[in-house]
Amino acid sequence: MNSKKLSALKLPRISIFLFIFLLISIIIIAQILIRQEEKYKLRDLLDRGNYLVSLISLHPLNDFHGDKRDFFLRTFTEYTTYEGLVYFFIHDDGKLPIVSLTPKSMASEIPHDIQMASLNAMGLKKQSFKVSNTKTTVYEFAKPIFEQGKKTGTVRLGLKPPPTSPFSFEWVRLLGMIALFMIAIILFLYYSITVSLRPLKKLNQEFKTTCGSSQAMVSDSADGESIGLTIKTLEHSLMQIKEKLTKIETNNVALASKLGVATFEKNQVVNILDSINFGIVITDIQDKVSLMNKYLLRLLNRKQEDIRDHPLGDILAHDEILAFITELENGQQNNNTRQLETTFPELAPGDIFSVSLIILKDREGRFVGKMISIRKITREKAVEESQREFITHIAHELKTPLTSIKSYSEMLMDGEIDDAEMKKEFYNTINVEADRLTALIQNTLSISRIEMGSLALNRGLVKTDLLAEDSVAAVETAAQKKHIILEKNFPEIFPMLVGDKELLKVAIINFLSNAVKYTPENGEITFSITDQNGLAVFDVIDTGFGISKDDLPHIFDRSFRSLDPKIRDQSGSGLGLAIASEIIHLHGGEIEVESEPGEGTHFLIRLPKEEYYLAEQ
Amino acid sequence: MRNNKKVVIIDDEAHIRRVIEIKLKKHGYQVMTAKNGKEGLNLIKTQKPDVVISDIMMPEMDGKALCEETNVLKKDQPFLTIIMTCRISADEESWISNMQDTLFMEKPFSPNKLVEYINHYFGGSYD
Repeated sequence: MNSKKLSALKLPRISIFLFIFLLISIIIIAQILIRQEEKYKLRDLLDRGNYLVSLISLHPLNDFHGDKRDFFLRTFTEYTTYEGLVYFFIHDDGKLPIVSLTPKSMASEIPHDIQMASLNAMGLKKQSFKVSNTKTTVYEFAKPIFEQGKKTGTVRLGLKPPPTSPFSFEWVRLLGMIALFMIAIILFLYYSITVSLRPLKKLNQEFKTTCGSSQAMVSDSADGESIGLTIKTLEHSLMQIKEKLTKIETNNVALASKLGVATFEKNQVVNILDSINFGIVITDIQDKVSLMNKYLLRLLNRKQEDIRDHPLGDILAHDEILAFITELENGQQNNNTRQLETTFPELAPGDIFSVSLIILKDREGRFVGKMISIRKITREKAVEESQREFITHIAHELKTPLTSIKSYSEMLMDGEIDDAEMKKEFYNTINVEADRLTALIQNTLSISRIEMGSLALNRGLVKTDLLAEDSVAAVETAAQKKHIILEKNFPEIFPMLVGDKELLKVAIINFLSNAVKYTPENGEITFSITDQNGLAVFDVIDTGFGISKDDLPHIFDRSFRSLDPKIRDQSGSGLGLAIASEIIHLHGGEIEVESEPGEGTHFLIRLPKEEYYLAEQ
Repeated sequence: MRNNKKVVIIDDEAHIRRVIEIKLKKHGYQVMTAKNGKEGLNLIKTQKPDVVISDIMMPEMDGKALCEETNVLKKDQPFLTIIMTCRISADEESWISNMQDTLFMEKPFSPNKLVEYINHYFGGSYD
């Protein structure tokens, strides 16, 4: 609304301005012309005066007497019948006027000095004076009459310039013409401006559409071809454009910062993807690779620039994986939890990989691509396999003594064994197998405690004399049966340990019972304990079968059993040394083995003493 | 009670060999024992037994390898094989079922049941 009012006011203001401009122009031009006219008339008057006095002064004085005088006056009056003549005198040499043509009132108006100067002049004399009480200036021309080289009289002529008025018919006509001319010029200019501003109006419409409907009010009244309105609209539009530009610039800055953040986040994501230790490939909606992390690039022996925007099928040329993806996509789009286990025999021989697919969707749930992850699970599979084998092994080992117990007891119960000796043998077997079962269960429990780590350790002070005594007691009977000499080399002061007494006992008994088991009859076992520089050192030296070079690296592996028939003849779960070594390591100790097949084995176990252990804590 | 049927027992566990041997001898079978598959295969080839009782997990040659070998021999000289094992997984069941005249018994086993299986194979006499 405001702008409309503004434009309404603007229209007369421009007209008034133009009118005043026109008026002033006319006045100025009229003034200039009047001045010019006056100047011209004055010059004409001077020329005329000069000419007349010069012409008249050529005549002898006699020409102005008698009949000639009348003729002269008639001719002069005819010739000088115009408004400019004020007075005319011809003086004789006595300075008396012989011809006088003047209104009476005028004679007295001529200043005396002007009159005298003219009468005394020896040549053409021009003078001017103002008639009192009027603005009229009178120009007096005087020239002496010479006859035979002697001044005989003087001609005096008073002329006044004709009035120059702007209100005369000629002037009004002239001014009218000027005004018409100027109006024509103004109209022409106005038309030209309007024509040349037409594109501006168009532009205005453009701005209207560009800047929105808010300035519709400015436009339509502009049909009146108001330049002011157009300019106003234009200004308004420009302001709007400026505002929009500022807004856009602000938006741009916001977008740029958002883009910066997005780029940063994208880089972060790429860095994260690159740092994870499994393969990731992301495809777009057309199944072209948009990103592949470093792990997968390495695995596939590719470079990022070589794979981007290439079809997935070309890059991941693995029929099994591609078929798996197609199957998931086609059949069970929602079931993305399925995984494929596969291999890359040429690129990663011996490794097993788990492949899974994630369908990527946007906020509206539309499909935007997919992510395939390829994770190496060789180790997990190995661990899984070894655990499965371990459980199978344990089950087998538990069932073996149970089998003996069940079958022997069944036969005893059925009364099938009559012979007293055989009965005794059967009962003994049941007893031995029950002990074996107990030991096995003990070992299995130890394993579960070991697997729980140091948290499950029942820490306390361990006196090595008691530990040694209990351990020896556990194997003494078996040793005696085989007539094995068990020599004990114990110090006077036994070192003290901090640790789990029961677990340490399991470990030491395992070393000792192994020595008994794999030492033939009449052999010898030396068990010694020494205190060495803060370490409690246990030595178990036997004269047994020894360990082959092939077996040596595996003796601490879980459920490892030698294929050596001499070893195989002895019942064993293959758990003993694995458990013993884990217990020693759990207590910060270490084990060394030296063995010579056929000669014997030396196990050296070093455990940190309590002060060192406590200091470490 | 005595019959002419020969039984070969193959197991790396001495106690198991011993109890089966006593049980079967009491039922009149001639019994031979072996500590592993390799020894067992030699006995089978030389003694041509009527029944072979074998464990699976054994050193030298395991029960599966032994069965694969003896399955060929069975074409000329059929005999009953009883696989006695502590573990029966699905894949083991499948290879056992593919072998000719082969049964399996899970450990711990009943000696009476074992004798029943053997007797049944020889004509259903449950003496």
